[in-house]
Amino acid sequence: MWRGEAIDRRGFLKAAGITFTAALSPRSLMALERADAVYASGFRAPDGSFGVATVSERGEIIDRVALPARAHGIAYSAATGRTVAFARRPGTFAMVFDPSRQAEPVMISSPEGRHFYGHGHFSPDGSRLYASENDFDGNRGMIGVYDARDKFRRIGEFDAHGIGTHDMTVSDDGELLVIANGGIETHPDFGRAKLNVDRMEPSLVLLDAKTGALIQRHTLPVSLRQLSTRHLDIAEDGRIWFACQWEGERNALPPLAGWFSKGDDLSFAKLPEETTIRLGNYVGAIAVNRRDGVVGLTSPVGGAAVTLDAKTGTVVKEEAVREAAGVAPAAHGIAVSSYDGRFNDTRSKVAWDQHIIRLG
Amino acid sequence: MRKIVFAGLVSLLPAAALAQEGDAAPSVDLPMAEVTKVMTAAVDGFIRPGYDAFHEASGKMTTAMKALCEAPSRTSYDAAKSAFRDAAVSWAHIEVVRVGPVIEQNRFERILFYPDRKSTGLKQVQSVLSKADETATDPATLGTKSVAMQGFGALEYVLAGTGSEELLKTKNGYRCRYGAAIAGNIANVAKELSDIWDAPDGIQKAWEQPGPDNPSFRTSGEAITALLGILVHGAEAVRDQRIETFYKGEDKAKFPKQALFWRSENTWPTIRGNLEGLSTLLEKSGMVALLQEKDRPIVAATQAQLKSMIELSAKVAPDLEKAVENAAERRKLDKLLADGKEVIAKLNDGYGGAIGLSSGFSFSDGD
Repeated sequence: MWRGEAIDRRGFLKAAGITFTAALSPRSLMALERADAVYASGFRAPDGSFGVATVSERGEIIDRVALPARAHGIAYSAATGRTVAFARRPGTFAMVFDPSRQAEPVMISSPEGRHFYGHGHFSPDGSRLYASENDFDGNRGMIGVYDARDKFRRIGEFDAHGIGTHDMTVSDDGELLVIANGGIETHPDFGRAKLNVDRMEPSLVLLDAKTGALIQRHTLPVSLRQLSTRHLDIAEDGRIWFACQWEGERNALPPLAGWFSKGDDLSFAKLPEETTIRLGNYVGAIAVNRRDGVVGLTSPVGGAAVTLDAKTGTVVKEEAVREAAGVAPAAHGIAVSSYDGRFNDTRSKVAWDQHIIRLG
Repeated sequence: MRKIVFAGLVSLLPAAALAQEGDAAPSVDLPMAEVTKVMTAAVDGFIRPGYDAFHEASGKMTTAMKALCEAPSRTSYDAAKSAFRDAAVSWAHIEVVRVGPVIEQNRFERILFYPDRKSTGLKQVQSVLSKADETATDPATLGTKSVAMQGFGALEYVLAGTGSEELLKTKNGYRCRYGAAIAGNIANVAKELSDIWDAPDGIQKAWEQPGPDNPSFRTSGEAITALLGILVHGAEAVRDQRIETFYKGEDKAKFPKQALFWRSENTWPTIRGNLEGLSTLLEKSGMVALLQEKDRPIVAATQAQLKSMIELSAKVAPDLEKAVENAAERRKLDKLLADGKEVIAKLNDGYGGAIGLSSGFSFSDGD
């Protein structure tokens, strides 16, 4: 079981319907029919164009949707089938599409004075879309709220209570917004440049999903102020896993992943020294496989994929994966993609982007 | 020695039941000796001389400003403006290095606060001139004030903005003394940067000798990727921050007064400085030596395109309001934008791909 709904490839096929499968090439249809799981990930094609693809667990591309520019994170609603590819920061678009192509795509533009940070999440019933955004002149992270039942009209925003907001997610009951504020100031005038590496303010925040009220905010100790808390996933017991990127001295050995629950302090995974080195002090993506009780971490810097026990945080597996990019729950263990086109068993002529999401 | 960063709850005990399948697989894995040679050449042949030259030029600018204040005349005024241009161009050469000490403690912004879409700097400079705040005439105290009023942008307004004719009329007037303090402040920051990079056991050593216990780069791949990053980000900054700020194409809105140093008509000299800085770093570092023979032409092609841009930028009308309104001048701007895109692609995908970043430098910078 992965985060979200307990549907599988058959559920995806059923939701997709005959019209969708009839439009697939025989090769894509075969890939879909023999898939145990279906994923989506952003990619760059050899001609430099960008898109998002649906992919079988073996890594075979099933379908592609073109995007105007590079995407980063993806949100998926098991309730409605809607999927959203968010522009990479400091991009200003989010493309809502239906992987089964039964609904017309919707393009969301960030409002004046905001850009997307690359991540977002649906409410459990699929009625709301939350997106991490930058109020760049105010230098504060925001959570944009969009009405998924009204053409994704922007209906409000919440203060993320931090700067450099990156990943965000929603608790299973839809009551909490969980936010990773990476602590790094950026401004579109300066592209992707990090403007405050020597005075970062990372934090992890829980908000009331209905009101935006601050429920809990964790800052990091002074010794870890250069530890950018960036990516999140939630385990079945509600434990919130977070993954980090270290901006401090390269010969330091900082903790790179940890967890907390509502009302609890932060805990950090006890990674062996060699694992921290192997990850290059940098975790680019994190995903929980609830069925197996494991957490996957990937590092493009170190070229590694690491699997942790979700209860204890101890390492159960390490793999060398050159240019490791995304990670997602597999039927067993974790699925891993790479910048050089590998997705589990298959190498495609695309560069997979940093994140994968499981659709069914 | 490697440093374990504790968070209170962290311990670093070996994990049990660990399944391990090979070491990590870094995307860029080049011979350490070759990379060390390149990094040493980059530091000793470009970065350190660049900051030393900037320190010297900013010192001369300070001297020229003080001379103007003591003896206002057309000659001393022209000399001050000339020294400003020389220091700004010297900065432009080394400005392409947007990593390391220059981005710490607001040093970059203290030297140059730009872009400034909301004219924060202009408002603050106009305010301090109208109030004649004496604390802004001492480089030491000025250095503690807003970064928007203590760098090149502020000094350009003092020398070429509304009311600058006052500099010719009043001996040791407030405007001139404020300008001299700005120059002194820039020289102070330049000295800091020069000293930090010249210290043999500091960042100089860290950059020149990557290794497992190095605070900057553990591996050869990390070091050379960072060096390539200077070139890619530097080329992007020229195109995106220095040209597209005021001109994005014939059909787009044009903002000539948003350009850096439009008042003093130093926009193109400093853009040339940026381009020459990129070209010099590419050459002096010897980065070409890290490529296989078949990939080496990408460096020559990049240099040729940079040379073309440097030459063309010298031919664009210095008055940007006229430049963006004239069809022939716009064609030059369009060519500079197109060439800039090519330079970025050659460095990003060409050089980046050749050293092992399969999808190019920018694609591989995570997030």
